[in-house]
Amino acid sequence: MATTAPAPARTAHAASGRAAAPAPRRRRAVSYPSWMLWPAFAALLVFFLVPTLLNFVYAFTDWSAFKQGFGFVGAQNFQRLFADGSLLSSLRVTLVWAVLVALLQNGFGFVLALLLEGDTRVNRGARIVFFLPVLLSPLAVGYVFQALLRPDGALNGVLGALTGTDVSIAWLGSTTWTIVVVSVVQAWKWMGLSMLIFMAGLKTMPTDVLEAARIDGASWWRTLWSVRFPLLAPAVTFNVATALLGSMNGFDTATALTNGGPARSTELLNIFIFRTFGQGLYAQATTMSLVLFLTVVIVALPVILYLRRRENVL
Amino acid sequence: MRATRSARTLAVAAAAGAALLLTSCAGGDLTSSSGSEGGDDAATTWNDATADLSGVTITFGGGTAGGPLDGAIEAFQEETGATIERVTYPDPYEQNLQTRVATGDIPDLASWQPTTSMLTALQAPANLLPLDDAPWLDAMDPAVRDIAGFVDGTRYAAIVSSPSVMGVYYNKAVFAQYGITELPQSWDEMLDVARTVQAGGGTAFVEAGGAQWPTQWAVQMQLAEAAQDGLWDEVNAGETAFTDSPIIDAITTYQGMVDEGLYNDDLRTATFEDQSAHLFAGEGAMALQVNALLEQLLTQYDAQQIDDTLGWFPISTDGTVATTIPDNKNGIVAFKTGDAEREAAAKQFLTFLMTDYYPTYIEDGGLVSIETDVPNPDTVPQLAQDIAASLGDSVGSMQSLAIANPDLYINLASLLYGEMTPEQVAEATQQQFAQLAQAQGAEGF
Repeated sequence: MATTAPAPARTAHAASGRAAAPAPRRRRAVSYPSWMLWPAFAALLVFFLVPTLLNFVYAFTDWSAFKQGFGFVGAQNFQRLFADGSLLSSLRVTLVWAVLVALLQNGFGFVLALLLEGDTRVNRGARIVFFLPVLLSPLAVGYVFQALLRPDGALNGVLGALTGTDVSIAWLGSTTWTIVVVSVVQAWKWMGLSMLIFMAGLKTMPTDVLEAARIDGASWWRTLWSVRFPLLAPAVTFNVATALLGSMNGFDTATALTNGGPARSTELLNIFIFRTFGQGLYAQATTMSLVLFLTVVIVALPVILYLRRRENVL
Repeated sequence: MRATRSARTLAVAAAAGAALLLTSCAGGDLTSSSGSEGGDDAATTWNDATADLSGVTITFGGGTAGGPLDGAIEAFQEETGATIERVTYPDPYEQNLQTRVATGDIPDLASWQPTTSMLTALQAPANLLPLDDAPWLDAMDPAVRDIAGFVDGTRYAAIVSSPSVMGVYYNKAVFAQYGITELPQSWDEMLDVARTVQAGGGTAFVEAGGAQWPTQWAVQMQLAEAAQDGLWDEVNAGETAFTDSPIIDAITTYQGMVDEGLYNDDLRTATFEDQSAHLFAGEGAMALQVNALLEQLLTQYDAQQIDDTLGWFPISTDGTVATTIPDNKNGIVAFKTGDAEREAAAKQFLTFLMTDYYPTYIEDGGLVSIETDVPNPDTVPQLAQDIAASLGDSVGSMQSLAIANPDLYINLASLLYGEMTPEQVAEATQQQFAQLAQAQGAEGF
């Protein structure tokens, strides 16, 4: 993720009556010895860069648990995987999941941030409560919800009590809708984090802009959409990018909830990779891993470019 | 200046790090450790069960914690002075142990499924000690002794308990309720029983579609006679595919049973625990399952309660040939570590377990005895004894006899949801099988 962007040329917006941008802060001349970065770089190298490079290498071999050593087999793994169709279907499931999680997590987070904006004691307590799921183990969350969402589980029990009838919906048993249910659980788990980031964005908004909007007679709703939301662009960039790209690597919650079922309709690519790896087909698993990596890169570039460009409105 | 110097140093460090990692990972030859050195000697050395092993430390991977193995390990340590360190591999156990073995991190002993496909996944000829001349083999029940544990004719796994068998668990009260007095002797007779129960308003079969893995038993049990005629040899050679008879027929029959409505309402979402609960409570007449069901029930009920409520019978297409599928509690393997002393100690533990300690082992575990001179403990339910008795007329499953283990059950679970037809299930399974067989370098793929 990019750190600070160079200060873009700032234009005054007549419609919102904004003041001219403040002058850039004077940068202090700081220099730390570069060797302070080496431990971090070493960890990055060993655990991220080298495995990613090796990913490119092993995907073209026939490495498996069944034989010693391996040989190069060209693009055979790729041909097989795409001819099969199961890789593409897992990829589709993963993209649907990622988009749903990004939308839901940030939607919930934004609403929560707006609701809990004020610094009352109740709000402060509520913020903690909504943040707790973020700290929970994803597997634990998955298992708890799996129990809650059973046909004879607590959710159906509550619905049954409310409607007065016997409710036994198989929330995790639909090949069409379970992916949505699983996305909701994932979004619930992480919405606290989105809420925090949005709240930070809301609280660090320049007050003179907001006061100008108030003086101009803008309603709360109008202020929200025309003034505050555009100014939240950096927070939106961070939240959407991490939610979208992070959830493309999702695994734990979905595994605990459905283990890829029913009928592989929630089988994220990572779950498929895990299963293939478990069968001892290491080269095929590496190939799939490489495909996932490339997909994330392909999705990330336009998304981040667009979101960063949006920030230039500031 | 500082920038270029640190950049250059960084580049050197990067190259060095990459080279180090690449050399260590290259070739995956870590598994061909110096195991072959001590291997030949160790292959013929079988110590006495209680010979002194002071100062020797070996590791035991896996094995149920809190099970009868705990006692065996403690007793062995006391008798011989050896130290056995337990190593736990988190679930999924097989994948984790396989991965460790691939990196060279091998235990001395491990619980392992003694089937051809799973032993091949460990590269048995390269990594495991052959156990062909083990001293306890003569004491074993001939019906059990050669049922599993082989790769290419060499024995690599010690069978330590009665192998798991696929069969039909039935609720006695439900059978009585619908006037079923004789146990079915063929698949068609079983379906007739099922239809009788269904017609009377009951549920014939209980399936755990939510757990996915039990869906494969109904298909595999139908293949028993074909397996006796060499079906899996043909599949292994690429001559018969999953898309050919009799496998596709078995899958189609299963689809037919589901379509006919012979199963429980929560067939698609029921978990393994739901299945056993339904059956025990009489909410279904029959469940096609393996020994795991009995073990699960034994955690909640005692042998008498189980025998009063449930019965068991084997079934196959034309008769009552049982299909065996040893699981990872049934077998133990010993690894070639290259250290002759440790290899001999590992084999000594196996000897100790299967000779001196065996009566205590099965008593502790409530297990059926697989040695002719050791009687069953009193705590063993009749059900378990019936299961063990079926081994005499049994045949191996896909897991036992095929060289690879495709995810048939996942495809069958898709079938339950109507997402795949029997032909698609067979096709997908065949493709996976071919992929695994090719990875092994099997001929014909």
